[in-house]
Amino acid sequence: MTARPRRRVAVTGVGLVTPVGNDVATTWRALLAGASGGAPITLFDASGFATTIAAEVKHFRNTLVSDRRLLKLTNRSHRFALEAAEQAFVDAGIRPTAEDATRWGCAVGTGMMTADFADLEKTHAHAAAAGTIDTDLLLTDDPANDPLVFCRGQAAEGLALLTRRHGIQGYATSVHTACASGGQAFGTAMKAIRRGYVDRVLAGGFDSMISPIGIGGFCLLSALSTDNDTPARASRPFDATRNGFLLGEGAGFVVLEEWEAARARGARIYAELAGDGNSLSSYRITDSPPDGDGPIQAMRQALADAGATAEDIDYVNAHGTSTLMNDRSETAALHAVFGPRGRTVPVSSTKSTMGHLIAAAGAVEGVVCALAITRGEMPVNANLAERDVDCDLDLVTAPRRGRIRVTLSNSFGFGGSNSCIVMRHPEDVDGKPGRSAAEAAA
Amino acid sequence: MSARVVITGTGAVCAAGLDPDAILAAVQAGTSCMRPIEQWDTTRWPTHLAGEIPDFNARTMVEDRKLHKLIRRTDLVGLYAAGRALDQSGLVAHRDALPGPAAAEYSDRSGVIVGSGGGNFQNQYDYFPLMSEAKGDLPTFGRELSNTVNPMWLLRTLPNNVLGHIGIKYGLKGTNACITNHSVGGLLAVIEAMEALRDGEADRVVAVGHETPIEPQMVLYYHDVGLLAAETLRPFDAGRDGSQFGEGAGALVLETAGSAAERGAPVHGEVLGGGYATEAEGLLAIRADGDGPARAIAQALADAGIAPRDVGMIVAHANGTPASDASEAAAILRVFGRDMPPVTGFKWSFGHLIAAAGILEMAVALAALKARTVPGIATLRTLDPACAGLAVSAQAQVPRSDIALVLCRGFAGTNAAVVVRAA
Repeated sequence: MTARPRRRVAVTGVGLVTPVGNDVATTWRALLAGASGGAPITLFDASGFATTIAAEVKHFRNTLVSDRRLLKLTNRSHRFALEAAEQAFVDAGIRPTAEDATRWGCAVGTGMMTADFADLEKTHAHAAAAGTIDTDLLLTDDPANDPLVFCRGQAAEGLALLTRRHGIQGYATSVHTACASGGQAFGTAMKAIRRGYVDRVLAGGFDSMISPIGIGGFCLLSALSTDNDTPARASRPFDATRNGFLLGEGAGFVVLEEWEAARARGARIYAELAGDGNSLSSYRITDSPPDGDGPIQAMRQALADAGATAEDIDYVNAHGTSTLMNDRSETAALHAVFGPRGRTVPVSSTKSTMGHLIAAAGAVEGVVCALAITRGEMPVNANLAERDVDCDLDLVTAPRRGRIRVTLSNSFGFGGSNSCIVMRHPEDVDGKPGRSAAEAAA
Repeated sequence: MSARVVITGTGAVCAAGLDPDAILAAVQAGTSCMRPIEQWDTTRWPTHLAGEIPDFNARTMVEDRKLHKLIRRTDLVGLYAAGRALDQSGLVAHRDALPGPAAAEYSDRSGVIVGSGGGNFQNQYDYFPLMSEAKGDLPTFGRELSNTVNPMWLLRTLPNNVLGHIGIKYGLKGTNACITNHSVGGLLAVIEAMEALRDGEADRVVAVGHETPIEPQMVLYYHDVGLLAAETLRPFDAGRDGSQFGEGAGALVLETAGSAAERGAPVHGEVLGGGYATEAEGLLAIRADGDGPARAIAQALADAGIAPRDVGMIVAHANGTPASDASEAAAILRVFGRDMPPVTGFKWSFGHLIAAAGILEMAVALAALKARTVPGIATLRTLDPACAGLAVSAQAQVPRSDIALVLCRGFAGTNAAVVVRAA
């Protein structure tokens, strides 16, 4: 059996809405400085919860998207998605047209929440005041009869908004593997181009779970840090005193293009999206295997898929959730894959700064890798005061500069899905710089 | 040449039965499984019929009682169908007989791809007792949270539970995905699995679609936006007025021909190709001209390397809504013209299974090809003149080859098409 001829995939536009910045430049500065987005929750009164802190997106409004009819159909996470996607299109300098709409795809990692808490409260007051639902009262309940609430609650709504706004008519899909969703979306998008389904894809992830139900759900699992008095230090992956993750929210998007088409139009290329690895731990729903089984296979597959070896990797963006179990399991996996180099390959978890963006995490961290390659800078693993002796890694505690050839980004989800994404410097693909000649001359 | 993708196991559950052959038999017999909804009292409701699985028993679906606390009804049916398909394929028994390292390698090369409905509304009602106790005071809500709500609430809510639990139960550890793409999820899982096998990402993949959409708030919304029939789902009929919900799951074990031959596995059919297209009109809107389904069909035929005249039967999405059926008929007519094979649909019998619809109907289509029949659409009375030329019938027809084209459409203007051949 011979494989089909492989098409390469270029990252040509990026967009970010994160707890540390509502655009790429602001977010990047914070990631280099390790300036945490953790703070007391303002979106609702969380004072009674075990965890009262989170990394919220701050002072957000849609500046690039002003279509009010469209915005009426959105929940908070959709608004992040629309903004970050628009940033990515502006940055890429290309958009779907009527002529090539069917050759454009869209792949998004979507969050799991269904209804906004405010709507749930209304339904509770009207149809379930005593604590259980009276289905006959549901017939006259406002949210339960509001088609806008219905649309906003559908898992495919984010995809519908993005494909409609941008006129994307090819392969379009929405995926959810919990915290691995964003990485899975990037891998799915890359494969859609390789397989020839489409030539260009808008890919990303978006999520917002900072609500009484979202925070509540994670509190019930004791997954969140309870360092309520020191929110900026709450997320400290690989630190000996880490005690859970900091819930974040936001969106990350990229424009991906078939490599030759991107070069042909003189696009600025951030990086090659070069490899995808995808495994199931099949261990426990919430726990990672202590020996790194599962993540190990995902990383090895991603390297092989990219035609790279562990030796080529200059930067690892770790899943690094700041939970006791994940960080040890991931360390074991990195050592298994990198061998002796496991102690010297630079690693950081940008969740130390942004918190955990759940379904958006893998996409945002994929953007971080593309930026690291383009800028020759590694963002820090903030808040590392006392490294866990069992996390024997070269953690980037201050920004490092230098040419980054190949990056590896991990995302592991509840349910056991492991996603690993490998990106490569454009010069290591075809010897040409990522910037166009015009840009370089400017 | 890419690897050929064969089917070595099928599983299905819905109101019409607990396996593809039983479901086919019910459809062939002209049985409508639409009955009054039993999950809540619908006496005063505008919609009271749906295809609930009769005498639903969680233990029939998943024997392990401990698991029941961690998953929802939709996960139960998904795990059931996947289990049946995997048992039929014999791949787990084969793997378990291999020596340790070879078994580990086998597991790493065995994937799981699921189309799932995503979140539902009812699950969030679990917070209602707490909300009553808190009387609108969020600090109280926060303090009393762990005394009132199931600590596993978030895990029960995960849209990717079937994926994770299949992995754990059967030790499958390869490539995987969970697609939350409304109705096309299950059939897109088949396409993704086919491509993963062609690309050499895995040697075998179980593809699953599952959904149990019959919950009060969902039924109300579908009714309010005009998608539900008053009494009867009549696809392509002049008097059609909407769809009806069903519930269930479908699963297919897909393998490279080499993987199946290696252990002498029974081969039930072959997946020849797939196509997929989006219309970008928004969540609920669809184009009247059938542009999306027409492109998906054309892609699927080209991918399979066959011409329209090679298709022996079409299992249409046929959901019974005026807009979807008319545009779907337009798409089929555009691609097939006079080379039209017999066309049918199954939703009139057991309802619209949303994320499970396409993959379950593909499993039933395979059973129909084997039985050399195209079941009739029993609720069809008068073909809509707008669908004239579509080769549908209330009576059974005979497939003109051993190849079926299966169509599936979903929210966000998505359309999937798969070409399957019976062994």
